[in-house]
Amino acid sequence: MLLLLASLIVGSSVYGANEHHHHQMPGMSMDATGMVMGNNKDKLPDDCKEITGEYEINVIAGTSFAEPYASTMFGFNEHEWQVEPCSRITVNFKNEDDVRHQWMLHGLPKYLYDRGMFHMEAAGGHSQTGVFIVPSDDKTYLVHCDIAQHMEKGMKAQLIVGRGAGDLWSIPGVSADFERPDGLFAKSAVFTVAISIFVFILALVAGIKFFRL
Amino acid sequence: MSRLYRILLLLILAVAFAALLPWQWYPRDWRVWYADTFGASGFQEQAATIPAMPDDSSEEACPPDIKGWRKSQTIAGVELSASPNCLADNPHAVAAFVKGTNNVGHMTLMDARLSPDAVVKGRDLDGDGDPDEIHIRLEVFELNGGSPDLDVPVTQYSIAPGITPGVWVFAPKSAGMSTENFESLLAQPGLRLPSPAIRVEQGDKVIVTLENTHYMPHTIHFHGVDHPFLKENGEGNDGVPVTSEKPVMPGKQRSYEMQPRQTGTMFYHCHVEVQAHILMGLNGLFIIEENKPNNWVQTFNIGDGFVRHSSVGVKEKYDREYDLHYQDIDKELGETIQKTNDPRIVTQLINREYDISQADVEYYTLNGRSFPYTARDSLIVTAPGETVKLRVVNGGSEGVAIHTHGHKVTITHYDGVEHPKPAQIIRDVVWIASAQRVDLELSTEDDGLHSYGEGVWLMHDHQERGVTTNGFGPGGNVTAIVYERYLQDDGWPMTFGMGWKNFLTPGFYQRQEDGSGATTLLPGVEESGPSILRLLMLAALAGLFAGLLASWVMKGRSRD
Repeated sequence: MLLLLASLIVGSSVYGANEHHHHQMPGMSMDATGMVMGNNKDKLPDDCKEITGEYEINVIAGTSFAEPYASTMFGFNEHEWQVEPCSRITVNFKNEDDVRHQWMLHGLPKYLYDRGMFHMEAAGGHSQTGVFIVPSDDKTYLVHCDIAQHMEKGMKAQLIVGRGAGDLWSIPGVSADFERPDGLFAKSAVFTVAISIFVFILALVAGIKFFRL
Repeated sequence: MSRLYRILLLLILAVAFAALLPWQWYPRDWRVWYADTFGASGFQEQAATIPAMPDDSSEEACPPDIKGWRKSQTIAGVELSASPNCLADNPHAVAAFVKGTNNVGHMTLMDARLSPDAVVKGRDLDGDGDPDEIHIRLEVFELNGGSPDLDVPVTQYSIAPGITPGVWVFAPKSAGMSTENFESLLAQPGLRLPSPAIRVEQGDKVIVTLENTHYMPHTIHFHGVDHPFLKENGEGNDGVPVTSEKPVMPGKQRSYEMQPRQTGTMFYHCHVEVQAHILMGLNGLFIIEENKPNNWVQTFNIGDGFVRHSSVGVKEKYDREYDLHYQDIDKELGETIQKTNDPRIVTQLINREYDISQADVEYYTLNGRSFPYTARDSLIVTAPGETVKLRVVNGGSEGVAIHTHGHKVTITHYDGVEHPKPAQIIRDVVWIASAQRVDLELSTEDDGLHSYGEGVWLMHDHQERGVTTNGFGPGGNVTAIVYERYLQDDGWPMTFGMGWKNFLTPGFYQRQEDGSGATTLLPGVEESGPSILRLLMLAALAGLFAGLLASWVMKGRSRD
């Protein structure tokens, strides 16, 4: 059995090495350790004259980072990063778990990034490195893992460029309000009942006054 | 104020109040009287004779096959037969499952959305021209789960129009997103109910690795599959938390090893909190095919249904092969994962509060869908003079009484074990207990016994609740045996009864229309509750009304 396992491991890593050279889309690489999509070291967004800042961030993903935040199960070592406009950002993404995780950023210009996305996926226990350049506008970008329920259960973060555009919802440690109220005690239901009672009383008083003429 | 004026005012108030009150708040008898007297707005006389004209809320019966997945094709050297149903399996994924994800090119993997190590096929140990070392990797996905930011389920999967119960499934290890794309909330086509059928060859050295991508602990138990209780290294291999090993925690993985000596249609399922986890969808077919030369089996059949690349042994005896997975679903169990986003509360709701002895089942699925969606991908398409193999499992909590219109089928195997020929019985109702498997031989020889000839012959659970969706029919696990002559080019069956328009409208299963095809007998029930503005106006009118009454009472008192 050990031999079999060893042969499988060797088999897959040889395969991985072969596949690494098959870049099908610009800025894309994929093998058994994961993938990077939208890798961009030097193409400037239209609104940037030059690269004004260099950042290198080290992201670690895993279930252990869920511990500080109630009602999460997955997480990143940090859930917020801040950079200057027109910066180049190198992301070293390390996955501590035994299953896949992703560091996926949305909302980049679509003329530079396929579907406006910079996307890294690391297989369990593996790392990926990718580079991208952000445009000049103040914006808050969503970063998440798109494996079912990983974002919902804590793998959600934000990249603030410049002054940003406000915090996103449900970012652990930033804006997390993970319990969605529902049913009878939801804010909207309580609000509706309260205002209905108020209107009823108002109309009652008005009715009495009006009809007593 | 004159008395007449006052009564007039009161009348105006009452009429305004009545007009504002939502229809569904009135007693049904009043609504019937109203419909009898004035007619109902949505009433169509003899709708069945009117050609189905989809309105805005109706879905297309059969979405066009833009990607060309239905046609016969050769991918990575694997010849795939055409898929007769409206929705076909992703042929790139099927090819990767046959060859192994380690033996196909980058583009095939990209189109299949599979990880390079999802199905690794190794050496040919017995020298008969096919790989015998098989390493399978499974992940766990939540479909229709909750979200802290949205009021709708995420990674959506509909079993019928507008029906999205919370479920969990095993799936081959994928690559990339779980949704179709970033703008979409819909699950990508490879992630669906039921957990996929797994196929290996007799004598294969099989490793199944569970990569727990979910936020709850899970295991895999291989029910009926020949496997040792312990692995060679002494670790548990039976998947049972109380006897063999601890569950696989979120973010962790564990491998199971086996070399099955016997063939047959078997079963696999999660063995953690079985009263909930199995019925949440964590169960599927596990099939061990006969060892034959050059037998490259299709390791996964996503969503079950038509087997696009049958094994050598099956091809020798049968013209076509279908996997049929029956599963019932308790809506309330599925709602536990939609109610809250806190895994601790989900655990509390499922492990402590959920009481299966008090549960009732709302949904009945075949291959993860209920009628009319079953007609999209789970019709049993055949032709005269054929022999078709059906591998059937009941993954639900209740028995299934499968009835075939127009045919009597032969039960060849029970729980993967073949009956001796003289003992094989021919029936038109086949009872399948929970977790049981039967192999059925469907002969289309028109002899008045095996088949009564060509047509669109219904096939369904004859426990009548099984043909409903949330107690409302037609729904449930209804499908049909359809002869090619009765199949349209797009894979949708030719029918001669009622139009199917109503069944493809989400409102139908919200009980907004009745099942007769004549639709709205009573004035329409509104989709959601009344708006806040309407409630406020109702409150104001009620207040005025009460004020009027109060003023009369007070006036009466002052006179005394």
